[in-house]
Amino acid sequence: MERGHIHPISSLIREANRIFSDMGFTFAEGPLLESEHYNFDMLNFPKDHPARDMQDTFFMKDEPGMVLRTHTSNVQGRYMESQMKKDMVPPYRVIVPGKVFRNEATDITHEAEFYQLEGLAVGEDVTLANLKGTLARFFRELFKGADVEIRFRPSFFPFTEPSVEVDMRVSGENVPEKLRGRWIEMMGAGMVHPNVLKNAGVDPAKYKGFAFGVGLDRIALLRWGIDDIRLMHSADLRFINQF
Amino acid sequence: MKISREWLQTYFDAPLPEAQVLADALTFHAFEVETVEDDVLDVKITPNRGHDCLSHRSIAKEFSAIANLPMKDDPLRAVISLEPKTDVIKITIEDAKLCPRFTGAYIKGVRVGPSPDWLRKQLEAVGQKSINNVVDITNFVMFNIGQPLHAFDAGKLTDKGSTRALTIRLAKKGEKLLGLDDKEYELAPSILVIEDANAGVIASIAGIKGGKPTGIDETTKDIFLEAANWNGVTIRKTSQALKLRTDASDRFQQVISPELTAYGTQAAAKLIAELAGGEIVGYVDEYPTPQKSWSVSVSTSKVNKVLGTVLADNDVADAFTRLDLPFEKKSEMFTVAVPFERLDLVIPEDLIEEVARIVGYDKISATELAPFSTKPEVNSNFYAAERARGELISQGYSEVYISVFADKGKREVLNKVGGERPYLRSTLIDGLREAHERNVRNKDLLGLKEIRLFEIGTVWGKEEEQIMLGTADEKGVREEPLKGLTSEIYDDLPTSTTERYKIFSRFPFIVRDIALWVPASATAEEVLEVIRSHAGELLVRSEKFDEFKKGEKTSLAFRLVFQSFDRTLTDEDANARMESVYKAVKEKGWEVR
Repeated sequence: MERGHIHPISSLIREANRIFSDMGFTFAEGPLLESEHYNFDMLNFPKDHPARDMQDTFFMKDEPGMVLRTHTSNVQGRYMESQMKKDMVPPYRVIVPGKVFRNEATDITHEAEFYQLEGLAVGEDVTLANLKGTLARFFRELFKGADVEIRFRPSFFPFTEPSVEVDMRVSGENVPEKLRGRWIEMMGAGMVHPNVLKNAGVDPAKYKGFAFGVGLDRIALLRWGIDDIRLMHSADLRFINQF
Repeated sequence: MKISREWLQTYFDAPLPEAQVLADALTFHAFEVETVEDDVLDVKITPNRGHDCLSHRSIAKEFSAIANLPMKDDPLRAVISLEPKTDVIKITIEDAKLCPRFTGAYIKGVRVGPSPDWLRKQLEAVGQKSINNVVDITNFVMFNIGQPLHAFDAGKLTDKGSTRALTIRLAKKGEKLLGLDDKEYELAPSILVIEDANAGVIASIAGIKGGKPTGIDETTKDIFLEAANWNGVTIRKTSQALKLRTDASDRFQQVISPELTAYGTQAAAKLIAELAGGEIVGYVDEYPTPQKSWSVSVSTSKVNKVLGTVLADNDVADAFTRLDLPFEKKSEMFTVAVPFERLDLVIPEDLIEEVARIVGYDKISATELAPFSTKPEVNSNFYAAERARGELISQGYSEVYISVFADKGKREVLNKVGGERPYLRSTLIDGLREAHERNVRNKDLLGLKEIRLFEIGTVWGKEEEQIMLGTADEKGVREEPLKGLTSEIYDDLPTSTTERYKIFSRFPFIVRDIALWVPASATAEEVLEVIRSHAGELLVRSEKFDEFKKGEKTSLAFRLVFQSFDRTLTDEDANARMESVYKAVKEKGWEVR
């Protein structure tokens, strides 16, 4: 029997885990059906604040306070809190690859369920420059030897301050044409907001951190030239067996 | 928010660069600019700056800081006095939490008419329709400095002993208002309104929509100009409940400073007196608890510790100066006296962000983290999933992802867009079975003898969430919980080596088999080559599926799959291709069985 094929997102997660593991990041996980407490409150989203509207959240019938997580950032609070309960103070380095949800109509670039990879590094000396360096290394290794530049633009997220949008430019002969030499918006990121550390029981006077959340579907689309994000959940071997 | 370059220019003596240059400056130092069209920028103001940046003045302020280009004049730094006061209109605020400030001006003897060209053009540039001079001025002031205003026809407010009275209160059940948009709004007790108190009728929905009965028209002589400050959450909820978003509600729901009402009232009153005539009789100002001033401190070393930079005190001071953030420096500490409108500046990190974006994020280097002191833990679920993946793939199973939304299940989503498949799946079985059936139909196209699928995915019971491992093959579909496994290290498993994905045809395909007798000297490859070269470009797959020898001859059988990228093939299409194949093999002297 011929070998079967791996889903491209699984392949990406395997690769990302290897790259981040070499940089000291542990693979962490958390529930997809999540409380607003971890999805919003712990992350410094004020109650009744318009920032919550940015999220297009799925709420649950007869389960007030529960949502399908809108980002993998729910694990920030869960991970830090659980470490502090075990008396394990920072430094922490974790990645959280996993499924997230947006309540929106689907088309070739939008899906209601997709994959994100969260990164969180907390320590006494973690800086925004480290965020740039970490992402540059990740993309360099993912695009094997290509020349990768990372650019920040100002942005806003309730759980980071400062907050940035991250653009990437990959150059090199082996880079897919769609990507080569172009600035592409990749993700939101920033320095962990002191309130997020405080909410999880970590002393913000002593520790700082960076966090980012990158769309894995988006990386897959760019890297392999996939033309429709809905193929990811198509369970169609005409697609899967190409990987 | 739409920002007109010409409008911005009114804040500067020096000529501004072209719109695209403005857009790039804003994008890399303040806000993303989504489009630039006809000298108008669509600026995406982030929610933290909704307090102060939904106005031309504030975008001018941002550009001034970014480009280090001085502004002619900042209207929000002027000294304002709301004198003289008038008692022609009496204001009562029932709950100051919902209305922290209510400011107004009574103007007598205006002439309502068309706006002058400059005003009409400026409003039109940002997508606003010109209505009349008075209404246009209230809109102009809002887009200019960010304070929404509303003008009442004072003559239509009920007079009692030569005073009029407005009460700010929550609506009563059953109360209604005919809006300026000619729609009737049914009000609920959560909605904040302004009541014409002498008549006991509602005059407007606070911060969102004026009422038709007290609106401005050509006959209006005396006006009462309102510039109030409203509770953001109340406005947001009202706006949602009434499905009514206005430029005013967009601003109030972001929470703006109550200090701004004075600037708004005075700017609008003066412009009305100038452009529509009339006399400013006096101002009213209910402001029970004035906004307190505050300061935020940060040191250069803290800035550098967060950003990973080596900025000097001068760099930090320069950023604050350009942003017009007044500061004092004592030993290490910069203490910024935050301007009243900058409600976003609360903690040291907020100031660090200000420094970072003015200095420029391009000045931040890419520095890798120091090596980590402890070895990363191996996640037992991920380890188990990876191990299962490795084993199943080696047995010919391919991995699929299937949507977690289903048409049955034990948990249901409340608000799914479109409403289809609102349940969270409680099993992988149904999805895998359906996917298996679907893929079986493509078996020949895929060149597979058997379809084998697996999924590692989440399912939901009544209480719990669980990761399952499901498989589907010709024997059936099954699932079991994925059990975590402990390990010291992850297995070294291959990743996909595919370089590019190839688009596949979504049209049906046609399968044809051909069997031949060939001399023993002919190889299957040679025969297949002849078949391929005569089958045409619609042949997408071809392979040998049978071979046996009988004396000097070999019997070979091939399966050919035809498919088009742009249409459904007919039998005739396939027949025509097969005819050329038959002809070619016969010419070779091979016998079609």
